[in-house]
Order: sequence, then structure tokens, then C-alpha cells
Amino acid sequence: MSKSKRTNLTLLLFCAPALIVYLVFKLIPAISGIGYAMTDWNGLSKDFDFVFLDNFIEVFSDKYFWQSVWFTFKYVAVMVVVANVVALLLAVAIESRRHGKGIYRTIYYMPNMISMVIGGYMWMFIFTQVLYYMADNWGFTFLDHSWIGDPRFSFWAIVIVSTWSMVGYLMIIYLAALQGVPADLIEAAELAGANSRQCFFKITLPMILPALTICVFWTLNSGFQVFDVIYSLTGGGPGRATQSVAMNIYEEAFRGNIRYGYATAKSTILFLIVMVITLIQLRVMKSREEEL
Amino acid sequence: MKKKRAISSVLINAGLIIGALIWLSPLLLALMNSFKTNGELLTNVMSLPTELNFDNYARTLDKMHYFRSFGNTVLVAGVSVTLIILFSAVAGWKLCRTKTKLSGFIYALFIFSMLIPFSSIMIPIYRVILALKLKNSLIGLALVYAGLGVSMAVFLYHGFVKGIPQELEEAAMMDGCNQFQVFWYMVLPLLKPITATVCITNVLWVWNDFLLPLIVLGDNKKYTLLLSTNTLFGQYSSDWTAILSALIIAALPVIIFYAFFQKQILRGISEGALKG
Repeated sequence: MSKSKRTNLTLLLFCAPALIVYLVFKLIPAISGIGYAMTDWNGLSKDFDFVFLDNFIEVFSDKYFWQSVWFTFKYVAVMVVVANVVALLLAVAIESRRHGKGIYRTIYYMPNMISMVIGGYMWMFIFTQVLYYMADNWGFTFLDHSWIGDPRFSFWAIVIVSTWSMVGYLMIIYLAALQGVPADLIEAAELAGANSRQCFFKITLPMILPALTICVFWTLNSGFQVFDVIYSLTGGGPGRATQSVAMNIYEEAFRGNIRYGYATAKSTILFLIVMVITLIQLRVMKSREEEL
Repeated sequence: MKKKRAISSVLINAGLIIGALIWLSPLLLALMNSFKTNGELLTNVMSLPTELNFDNYARTLDKMHYFRSFGNTVLVAGVSVTLIILFSAVAGWKLCRTKTKLSGFIYALFIFSMLIPFSSIMIPIYRVILALKLKNSLIGLALVYAGLGVSMAVFLYHGFVKGIPQELEEAAMMDGCNQFQVFWYMVLPLLKPITATVCITNVLWVWNDFLLPLIVLGDNKKYTLLLSTNTLFGQYSSDWTAILSALIIAALPVIIFYAFFQKQILRGISEGALKG
């Protein structure tokens, strides 16, 4: 056996365990998914028919699917702004403290450790019990809404819980980036007469742009897959008013209908949407970084 | 100027403290009310409990089969993370040290799928699980996690190995060690820092993941902590004292984990993010 052949053989041997689980549980499902999307497989019968693009054509007239796509877009757009603004504000405020940095970081990051399912149920208690109590007894009547039952408010309930959970993670990334901004640069600018707002927008923000790119990417990516928090808070309801794409797919496949082929077609569309949008985002923000 | 600065500093502090209270409020309110009787809770949700009454906890520990669900979760997280670490460390190391066309191809194969969202492949994964008769199997669930987790871990190990000099390994080979011994006795200990990061991030991911076990596990004897909590919530939809005590004990393991590993967790995030 030649030497290069033997090198490749040992390489394969050492990669085999990782490769096998990876191929079986990720790569093959990902590729075969596109195939299933063209069948009418329902999960029960052993055989199924090839229907080519019928599923995709049906998706185009699926009102509930597009409603869930619209909901998810709205959610992602709001989350990208709200979560990043709150996280950045927190990071700047915490970084400016001389004392207590550690304790603030610990507290604000904590919700990120807890599953969104558990967090969602804890907030459910607040939305359905505590806020009513505050409205009735403390006169906070602006809180007196059906936070879970009324889709206008349940959207914001979902945003609040997601923000609570996600912000800590983003904040840690922003904090790390802020520590990389040289303090003497800010001092020099202050001596030259710049106020703190100018310092932030002209010096700090451009210097932490890579962190912003990562955080927006992360919010986009996890936002499009939102499931847990909605599952625990509203279950997608009332009706299907707060259903996200991931929930719509889950329902199509595992609740009631069991139309795996059709649900896989929806999954493929979700994948394409996520890919196109994140690629555009990375492109745009990377070119911004380079301009500076 | 100085005065203005002092005022703004006080304001920022006040804002941070109020924010911190809001951030902790779901946990604090759940904890506070979990000791109450139902009547006590319904009259005032904002009061402190009159006594530390652990009846609710006793009830939910039993009802949600806490220790069984906890054991199941530990088993899944333990097996999957061990597999991820061993499989990815050896693959990442060998991929980095071998410079052939094949190694480039395998590495690209691992990286390429990193951005595929789970929800878009969950149905074909479910199909594989059915085909391999792994439905309801905790080990099966752990294997799926391993499959989903290795690509990121291979990426991290590959990057870390690049920074380790190769001479030592070559010297050991000269001395007659075989490749496996070199890996086990020499390389693996050197990988400790990145192994800690891989371990912690993956334990948290597996521990807090909800959708995959929801699909794979149908039998409630196999339920993980999150699934049991979820079931309990469905059964006791208006009995808040039971639910809140369940939420507290379900959140407790991660909070303890956080208390012990906070430094490593936070470092893992900032390192991972700024590298990637």
C-alpha cells in the first residue's frame, strides 16, 4: 500500500465514529428531506408515491402556513431590534460601572441558562396572575389585558419572554467586544470635546461592529426557528394567531394530520428562507465592517 | 460637569438594579408562591409565604417522577456529550494533522451543514429514528444529539489543534507509540481547555432542548425533565402551587450548574462567538 493511501485510511479510521453519527443523523436526513418533500408519505404506510412538486404547489396556497411565515417575520424583525438594543444598552451600562460588574452579569445572564419552556411557564404565571393582581390592587390598569388570550398582546408577551431569555447571551458577546475598545481612545476623544453620545456612535460602535454582526446573525438564526417559548406560552393560539413556522411544521407532522411529505416541503422552504436572509445579512454587514 | 456625571452614574445604577429585579422576578415570584397553599396564593400573589411549606414540592416530586426524569436527562446528556467529545476530538485532531485532499473534503463536509436549522430537518430525522427502531430510546436520543453536535465540535477542536506544536507527537511516534496512544495520552490532555468549552455548551444544549425529545420520546417512563414538567403543566393547568414548585425544581439543576461553572460558561460564549 502506498504511503498516501495509508495516511488516508488512518484518517478515515479516526474520523469514522464522528462521520457515521453525523451522516446518519444529520447529513442523510438533510439530503433525503428534499426527496421526501416530493412524496405523499404519511408516516404510516410503508410505501408512498412520488408526487414531484405537488406539495410545493400546495404550500403556496396554504393560508395557515403563510400566516405563520408572516408571524415569524414580524417576530424576527422585532427581536433583532429589541434584543440587540437592550443587550447593547445593558453591556454599555454594565461596562461603565466600577463596582458590581460581576453580579450584574450573573443576574442578567441567568435566564439564558433556563429552558424557554420553563421560563415560558414562569412568565405565564406573571401574565395570567401577577399582572392582574397589580392592576386590581396597585392601580396599574394599563396591565389589565388578556396577555395570553388576545393575539395583539400575546405577540408582545412572546417578545418579552424571548428578550428576557436571549438578552444575556448577546450581552456577554457585547461585553467581550467592549473590553476590546481601548480606553485611551475614548479619553482622547473626550479631551477633544466629544460628548458621551458622540464617543459611542463615532468610536465604540464602529469598533464593536463584528460583535454586532455575530449577534444579529444569531438573533436571526434562532428567531426563525422559534418554537419553545410559543409552545409554552400560547401554544400557537388563540386559533393559530401566534403560530410560528416551526410550530406549523410540527403540527402538520406530529399533530393530527401526520403529513410528513407535505410538512417536509414546508421545512425545505423554511430552510431556504433562513439561508437567503442570513447570507444577505452577513454579506451586508461584513461589507460595512470593511468600509470602516 | 462632575456633578452631571455623578447624577448620570446614579441613574444608570438605579436602572440596572430595577432591571435586575425584573430579570429575577419570574424566578422569585415562582419561588415565593411555591410555598403557599392554593388559597393563600389566590388571595395575594405578591405576599411572602406565611410559612415554608414543602407540601407542594413533595407532591410534585412524586407527580412528575422527578428523580426518574432527572436520571433520564442525565443519561441522555452524559452519553451524548461523551460521544461528542471523544468522536470530535479524535476527528478534529486527525483532520488538522493530515494534509490530503480527503481531509479537506471531510472537514468541509462537517462544516457545510452547520447552518441547517433543526426544524427544517426534524421530520427526516424522525424517519431515521423510526427506521433504526430508536423511538422511545434514550440511547437513541443521545445518538441523535451526537450526530447533530459533532460538526460544531469538530470545528472547534480543529481550530484548537492548529495552535499546538506537532513536534511532540512526532517524537512520541519515533519512540514507538502508536497513533491511538499518542492521541489518548498526549493530545487529549492538551485539548483540555477546548474540551471544557465543548462539554459545557453541549451539556446545556442537550439539557435544555425540548423539541427533539418531544418527537422521539413517547413513553412517559422515558421522559426528560422538561417533558415531565410540560406534562405536569397540562395536567394541573390551574393549580399554580403545584406548577410553580415543579418549575423551581426543574430549573434548579441548571441554576446549580451555573453557580459552579459560571466563569467557564461565560468565557465559552464570548470565545466561541468571536472566533466564529
